[in-house]
Amino acid sequence: MRFHLLALLAKEPAHGYELKQALEQTFGAAYPSPNIGQIYVTLNRLTQDGLVRAVDVEQSNRPNKKVYYLTARGREALTTWVEEPTEGPRVRDEFYMKLILAPLTGIADRMALINRQRRHYLGLMRELNELAERTDQANRVALLLIEGAMLHLQADLDWLQRCQEELL
Amino acid sequence: MSTVRAGSRWIRADLRARRGQALLTVLAVAGIVAALLTAATLLEEGTNPWRGLFAQTNGAHVWAHTRDQPELGRLLALDGVARAAGPYRSAPVTVVQEGRKDPAALRAVPATPPEVSRPVIVEGQWLSTAQPDGVVVERSFARSLGLRPGEPLAMNTLSGARRVLYVRGIADTADQGFYPEWTPGLVWVLPVTLDQVEPSLGRSEWVTGLRLKDEDATQVVAQRVVVTLDEQLQRVHTWREVRAAMELDNRLLGTLLALFGVVGLVAAALALANAAGGRVLGQLRDLATLKSLGFTRRQVALLLIVEHGALGLLGIGLGTVGGLGVTMAVFGSTSLAPLPVVAIAGGTALVVLAAVGLPAWRGGRTPPIPAAPAAPPRGHLSRLARLALLVRLPPALVLGTRDAFTRRLPAFLTVFGLAVPMMMITIGLGVWATLDNFLKNPAQVGQTASLIVKKGKLTPAEAELFVSRDPDVRHAYPGSTVNALAPGEARSVRVRAIGTSTERYPFPVAEGRMYTRPGEAVAGQGLLDLLGVRIGDRVRLTVGGSPLIVRIVGRAVEPDLDGEVLSLGLDSLAAKDSVPPGFYALHLREGADPDEVRARLLAASGEGLEVQRVVNPAERLTILRVVIVALIAVLALIGLANLLTASALGLRDHASDLAVLKAMGLTPRQVTATLVTATGLLVVLGVFLGTALGALFVRGLIDLQGHASGVGAGIGRAPQPVTLGLAVLAAVGAALAVALIPARRAARVPVTAR
Amino acid sequence: MSVVLKAVNLVKVYTDSGVPVHAVRGVDLEIEAGEFVAIMGPSGSGKSTLIHMLGGLDARTSGEIWLDGRRVDTLSESGWALLRRRKVGFVFQNFNLVANMTVADNVELPALLAGASPREARERREDLLARLNLTERADAPPGQLSGGEQQRVALARALANRPSLLLADEPTGNLDSRNTRDVLRLLGEVHRDGQTIVMVTHDARVAALADRVVSLLDGEIVDDGRIPRRRPATGTAGEVIDLR
Repeated sequence: MRFHLLALLAKEPAHGYELKQALEQTFGAAYPSPNIGQIYVTLNRLTQDGLVRAVDVEQSNRPNKKVYYLTARGREALTTWVEEPTEGPRVRDEFYMKLILAPLTGIADRMALINRQRRHYLGLMRELNELAERTDQANRVALLLIEGAMLHLQADLDWLQRCQEELL
Repeated sequence: MSTVRAGSRWIRADLRARRGQALLTVLAVAGIVAALLTAATLLEEGTNPWRGLFAQTNGAHVWAHTRDQPELGRLLALDGVARAAGPYRSAPVTVVQEGRKDPAALRAVPATPPEVSRPVIVEGQWLSTAQPDGVVVERSFARSLGLRPGEPLAMNTLSGARRVLYVRGIADTADQGFYPEWTPGLVWVLPVTLDQVEPSLGRSEWVTGLRLKDEDATQVVAQRVVVTLDEQLQRVHTWREVRAAMELDNRLLGTLLALFGVVGLVAAALALANAAGGRVLGQLRDLATLKSLGFTRRQVALLLIVEHGALGLLGIGLGTVGGLGVTMAVFGSTSLAPLPVVAIAGGTALVVLAAVGLPAWRGGRTPPIPAAPAAPPRGHLSRLARLALLVRLPPALVLGTRDAFTRRLPAFLTVFGLAVPMMMITIGLGVWATLDNFLKNPAQVGQTASLIVKKGKLTPAEAELFVSRDPDVRHAYPGSTVNALAPGEARSVRVRAIGTSTERYPFPVAEGRMYTRPGEAVAGQGLLDLLGVRIGDRVRLTVGGSPLIVRIVGRAVEPDLDGEVLSLGLDSLAAKDSVPPGFYALHLREGADPDEVRARLLAASGEGLEVQRVVNPAERLTILRVVIVALIAVLALIGLANLLTASALGLRDHASDLAVLKAMGLTPRQVTATLVTATGLLVVLGVFLGTALGALFVRGLIDLQGHASGVGAGIGRAPQPVTLGLAVLAAVGAALAVALIPARRAARVPVTAR
Repeated sequence: MSVVLKAVNLVKVYTDSGVPVHAVRGVDLEIEAGEFVAIMGPSGSGKSTLIHMLGGLDARTSGEIWLDGRRVDTLSESGWALLRRRKVGFVFQNFNLVANMTVADNVELPALLAGASPREARERREDLLARLNLTERADAPPGQLSGGEQQRVALARALANRPSLLLADEPTGNLDSRNTRDVLRLLGEVHRDGQTIVMVTHDARVAALADRVVSLLDGEIVDDGRIPRRRPATGTAGEVIDLR
């Protein structure tokens, strides 16, 4: 989450709770709802690394709140993150291990494994479908994210099919 | 019922989408049916006015004109004679009407119409003793004079007396031919009236009609009448001559029309099959969809038959109405029995249904899975296209050449579908050229002489003097016509002697040679066929009891009397038949107007001579030209229909290729050129093939027709090369223009649109 | 639940230039009223052949097909055609609207074919087009419609006779994702109204719409089962999307 927060702070300085709200606003339901504690832990680490600077702001009849600023090093780190190519997703290696190893142990046969996995994926796909239905059609960011997830799932399903064709 | 509704929706939608083509189909079929109907009408004896009139009037087969009143009993006693009309006294008069003088014969008949040869009143009333100055005028004569019942009829008798009688009625008769081809005109009067108008028996003759038990015995009876009446007899004519005079050359016209109609029907059927087949090919996906919706195979086939057949049937309906309309307009009351109409309409309907049946059946067999559009067969470079590449033709031409033959069967059908109409057009032009030739060179059809002069009231010497004195007469050939009995034939043939064997009349000899001495003759095809003889054979005929033996040395083109004419020199006839000559055939100077010469001769002889103008067969066949033009129009329609189908099919097949070609860098103009080449190549092939076949067949066909009609081979003319060239250019040009429109539209479609 | 469609040991063998090709080898299938079944499989697995046989567009080589309790595989081609009019609606990948007919005519055609009066057909068409938001395109030729609109019209046409069974062969195969979504939403709605649907697709997003997925491989069913529903559809995105 480090760079997500850095990116938000690059826009404008903010305190922890504001960052949580900004994340939710931008990604909507598509973003796994962030834990406020986790945000503060991340911010502390960023401060220690010198990427972020915390400034106490006094508030009347409330404890001081910390507003975080992006440092020059922080901006540098953010730029590096944006510019470096993002790694592609990796195959579901766990299922692959099951698929290859399970038959050796005689616990399950591959056909059953693949079928079960496919139904599971289709179930996930249905949830994504329903999620897309529920999502506000104007929220393009969220819809794109869902579509991305669907395409990944489709790729997994296609790969399952290949496994079925080749291994059986 | 439910499928009817659903199907009719589909048919309506489809027809809306191809209105032009549908209209063309209807028009083409209509034209063909109209042509066939008209042909049938012309071929049907019913249109020959003689048959109807003869039956209606209970006509007489043989007519004898005698100087004195004949003994009727002797005539009735002749073998084969059933009943008689007359004898009636008949006097020649000249009808004077608004400065016109027309020869007429007043025939005295009783107030009660006779049993045999009873004139049929068409206007007014029959004679009545209550009105002794009333007359009944034969219809064609009345029409020629513009007479109506109640109008006065002024006439001069031979003695010069002037009388005025009144038209009481107008009647049809089969006694004689139509005025003015047949003179004199016929006027019926009461005997008392004739006695007043022309009291002198010496200036009149007696006319007797004989009705026979068997019309085939006519010639025999006519010969017996000649023998029986002997000296008394002025002349005899039979129903054959009357019929010949009334005939309108319907048979030739009818045969030609029928030929065109039948071949046109084949062409139209081909066009229909092409159109239906192309449409089905273009709609396989829609048909599959219909089947997936629940149309059965039979219903789809039926749907297609109904759609394409309906166009044909509509055309048949229109054509029937049009054809009947034409015949009504030309021949008056409907003259065609319902049976041929039904037969033609039904036959055409069958042809139409058969033509659309096959594509419809194929459409019905479409599998119900509407797959992606079927890819056209792969077009490998044909030999022709490779040749085009070899001679470095532009790429558009090469591609078009390849595309032209991608689908072999449709390509063949297109070529054939254009070749057939083009062939018929060429033949039509050939008929036209033949007619032109008749007119330009009447000598080639035996009409060197344009006027025939009979001595009339003059002596032969006077007559000869008059005709030889006229400045425009190049040569006056003395001639005689006699009837001769052929051995074994119950009928006589015409023997025509003109000129002599040294001073020969220029008969157009098509085979063998011209006669050069007495005892030699040339014959028409009809005569050769009738007697079953060939050139070089000797024939023995009987003329008035004396034998006539001649050797036939050649065949002449003979437009008269179905070609059943023997032509020879006067010196080949016995003196009793040749002296004095019966007529003079006048060969006029180049450029002389026959009508002028005729008027001059009539004036010079004081109406003493009988001068007849020879009618050129081409003049009688003028209507043929109208028919040819109409037929060419119909055939062009058929060709056009084929062309539209071909270009639509080509476009459909190549639509996907076009996108690829354009992507490869062909300009829109090159794409257009490719498409036009693809269609144009087939068009050029079809047109040239048709023209070549037509040119090949035209002379043979016309000569065949000439042979069959007795005129004889040797009249056929191929169209002028210039005419043919123009026709080919026009056909190809029109075709390319038609192909250009969809091609340009297709060329403008952007590459991505699919 | 009553069984709408039943296939017993269904086999299809083509002969392709003399060589027999086993497209479908012994498929057993039972589909109950109101079910939405997706048939998945790689290309060449025989899924299209199967659905064509189920709708009588293609003749089976052996086996039985029962529709609404009646054995139908023995029917002739025209027998099938008559059956399709009332009981089977088809949606194809290429839409297959009759190009020369307007949208309205396309939708009315099956109703007329099934014996409806022109008025009934028109009312039904107006109703269907209104439901599919196509009322204003009624008089347009299909060529002027977008792919999604065309497929919606095709769906309206397939539903015109309230068939017992709706067969769809890759209904979204030629559509972009937006049009796919529209068509899928409609299929879902139709299904919720109780329509039995059998759909062939290779698109998991489309298949996920079904209650049950049948997987074909080499002409045989390798899997046939309901898609598990882990919990009521209230989960948030965070549970299905893992943003790293």
